[in-house]
Amino acid sequence: MIQQALVALIVVVAIAVSVWKLMPARRRLLALLKFDAWAAKHPALATFRERSLRPRITRAAGPGCAGCTSNVSRPQPPPR
Amino acid sequence: MDVAVEIKPLRLALVGVPNCGKTALFNRLTGSRQKVANYPGVTVERREGERLSADGRTQQVLDLPGTYSLKPTTLDEAITRDVLLGRVANVPPPELVVCVVDAVHLPIGLRLALEVKSLGLPMVLALNRMDVAKRRNVKIDVTKLAAELGVPVLPTIAIKRGGADVLIEALDPALWIHHRRIAAPAWIEATAEDAEQRQKDLRGVLEAVGYHAPVENPWFARLDALLLHPVGGLLILASVLFVMFQAVFSWAEAPMNWIDGGMAGLGTWTAAQLPAGPLTSLLVNGVIGGAGAVLVFLPQILILFLFILALEDSGYLPRAAYLLDKLMGGVGLSGRAFIPLLSSFACAIPGIMAARTIPNWRDRLTTIMIAPLMTCSARLPVYALLIGALIPAKTVGGFNLQGLVMFVLYLAGIVSAVMVAFVLKHFSGARTYSPLMLELPDYQWPHLGNLLLGLWERVKIFLSRVGGIILALMIVLWFLSSYPAPPPDATGPAIQYSFAGKLGQLLEYIFAPIGFNWQISIALVPGLAAREVAVSALGTVYSMSAAGDDVAGQLSPVIAGTWSLATACSLLAWYVFAPQCLSTLAVVKRETNSWRYPIIMAAYLFVLAYVASFVTYRAVSAWA
Repeated sequence: MIQQALVALIVVVAIAVSVWKLMPARRRLLALLKFDAWAAKHPALATFRERSLRPRITRAAGPGCAGCTSNVSRPQPPPR
Repeated sequence: MDVAVEIKPLRLALVGVPNCGKTALFNRLTGSRQKVANYPGVTVERREGERLSADGRTQQVLDLPGTYSLKPTTLDEAITRDVLLGRVANVPPPELVVCVVDAVHLPIGLRLALEVKSLGLPMVLALNRMDVAKRRNVKIDVTKLAAELGVPVLPTIAIKRGGADVLIEALDPALWIHHRRIAAPAWIEATAEDAEQRQKDLRGVLEAVGYHAPVENPWFARLDALLLHPVGGLLILASVLFVMFQAVFSWAEAPMNWIDGGMAGLGTWTAAQLPAGPLTSLLVNGVIGGAGAVLVFLPQILILFLFILALEDSGYLPRAAYLLDKLMGGVGLSGRAFIPLLSSFACAIPGIMAARTIPNWRDRLTTIMIAPLMTCSARLPVYALLIGALIPAKTVGGFNLQGLVMFVLYLAGIVSAVMVAFVLKHFSGARTYSPLMLELPDYQWPHLGNLLLGLWERVKIFLSRVGGIILALMIVLWFLSSYPAPPPDATGPAIQYSFAGKLGQLLEYIFAPIGFNWQISIALVPGLAAREVAVSALGTVYSMSAAGDDVAGQLSPVIAGTWSLATACSLLAWYVFAPQCLSTLAVVKRETNSWRYPIIMAAYLFVLAYVASFVTYRAVSAWA
C-alpha cells in the first residue's frame, strides 16, 4: 500500500515536470510572473521570492525582448 | 551638514567587432560561462549578466553581438544598434559603453569605436589581446590613443585571470557619477562625406599612436596555403571529420562499458534490496532502465565535442567555412550558412538562432529549414545504440567499421541538407548569391581551460536532460507501460495490455510498412520531446517486455537478438530525417515570426523520414 502511494506521488510529480518542461518558454515565463504576483501578496514568501523565484524568472526571460528577432527593426540591405 | 549622494549602479554594454573578445571579457566581468570561440558570430543575441562593483552593489552588464558598423546588414547587428540607441521597448540605453578593440587588428575596431563615440554615450575603450599584440610586435602608445580619442583606454587580456583588473577598477560607479546620460542617444546614418571624414580621423589616430600592421607569421601563411587549397583543403577537412568519427567509437568503448556495467549492477542491487512491488519496478525498469540506457552514451558525446571545441579554438572552423563557400554557393546556400549549420551539429536551436547573421532573408530561411538535417548530438545515442547492436566491431581496411557507418550517417544528413537547399532555392526562384565576407582569425593552440569548460558545459547539459525531462518522461512511460494490469488469463507480456502497449499497437498500423514493431512505435512518441528519449523509451519498453530485471542498461543485445537488419537500418534512416523536437519548432516559430514555417518544416521532414525508411526497409529486406 505504501509502495503504491509513493508510486502514485512520483508519477504525478513526473507528469507535472514533463508538462512544465515541454511548455513553450513564453507560457512558462507568464506562469512564473503570475505566481510571482501572487507570492508578492504574501510576506511569508518574501525570502523564497528573492532567492528562488526572481532568479528563475530572470533565467526564463533569457535575453529578454531585445534578443528576439521579432522586436528588432530589420536592417537595411547593403548598397549594391 | 554632510549630504549622502546615492550612487546608482551603472548599466554597462560591451560593444565591438566580431571575434574581438567581448564574450571572454563579459565572462571575466560577470563570472558567467558564455560560449567563447575563435570565430566571429558566436553571440547573436543580447546577453545580460551582473557583477558586484567595488562598493558591493550590482551592476548590469550587456554583451552585444559583434558589429563592424552601426549601420547593420544583419539582424544580430541590428540588435546591437537598437540596444545602444534605446530603441528596444523596456530596455534603457546603456549608461557606459565598453568598446572592446582587438589590439592586433586596431584599425577595424577603432573605426567602430569612433562611430560609437559619436553617439555621445560615456565610453571606455578596452584594448584587448594585448598579449598577442606584444608577441607579434604590434606597438601602440596607449596614453596617446586615450588623448586622441578623449576616452580612457585600458589594456586587457580577457582570457587571462586578472587580465581585466585595470578595466574593472575603471568601472567604479563613483568615477562616472557626473557622466550619466538620461536621454537616449541620437544617431544619424552617416553620409559618404561622414564616412570619408571618419576614415581620415582613423588614419590620423593610427599615425599618432604609432600603429603598424602586425608582421604576418610565416607559419600561418604556410598553413593557410595548405588548409585553404581548393582540393587539398577539402581532402584535409574530410579526413579531419573522418578521424573524429573513428575516435567517437574507438576511444569511447572502455568508459561506455564502465557506465553500462555500473547501471546494470545498480539495477540488480536495487532489485535485491527492495521487496517486489510497483516501486521496485518503477526504480529498476523506469528510472535505471530508462535513464541508464541514454547515460551510457555520455563518453561518445564528450569525444565528439572535444574535437569540435578543439577545431573551434584553433581557428580552423572559419577556414572550413571559406573552403565550403563555393560548394555551398553551388546549391544556393550562402557561405555564411556554414557556422549556423555547424552549430546545428550540437543542437539545431543555436544553429537556427545563428542564422541571424545571414543578411538575405531567403538564404536565412533556407538555412533555418535545413538546420535540423544536421546530425544533432541528441541523435548520437540513437545512432550509437543501433550501430553498436547491429554492426560488428571489426576493422575494414584498417578503419573501425562502426565509426565508418557513423561517418556515413553524418554524411547522409549533410548531403540531404544540400539537396533540400537546392530544391528550396529552385522553387523560391531566388538566384542571387551573397558572397561570404569573413575575417579569418589567427591560428592558436586550443586553450586547455576553454576545452575543459566547454566539455563541462556539455556534461551539465546532458546530465540535466537525463535528470530532468528524460527521467520525468520515463516515469510517465513506465506508468503507461505498467497500467492497467494484465487480465488473469493473459498469455503475452504485461506491457501488451497496458496503455502504452495499446498505443503502440495502434501506431504499428502506420509504421509497419517501414518495418517498425510496436515497441519502436511507442518509443517514437516521447522521442518528439527530445530525440535521445527514444533510446530511454526503448530501454523502458524492453525492460517491461522482459521476464526479469536483467535488461536494465543492456539494450544492445536485446535489439541485436530481436530486430532484423532491415528494421534497424530503417530506424537509422528515420533518424537521419526524423521530425525534430518540439523545442526546435518553437524556436523556428520565434525566429520566423510565423507558424507557417515550423508546420512546413515538420511536414517535409516527416515525409522525408517515412519515404527514406520505406525505401531502406524494402531494399535491405530484399537484399538480406
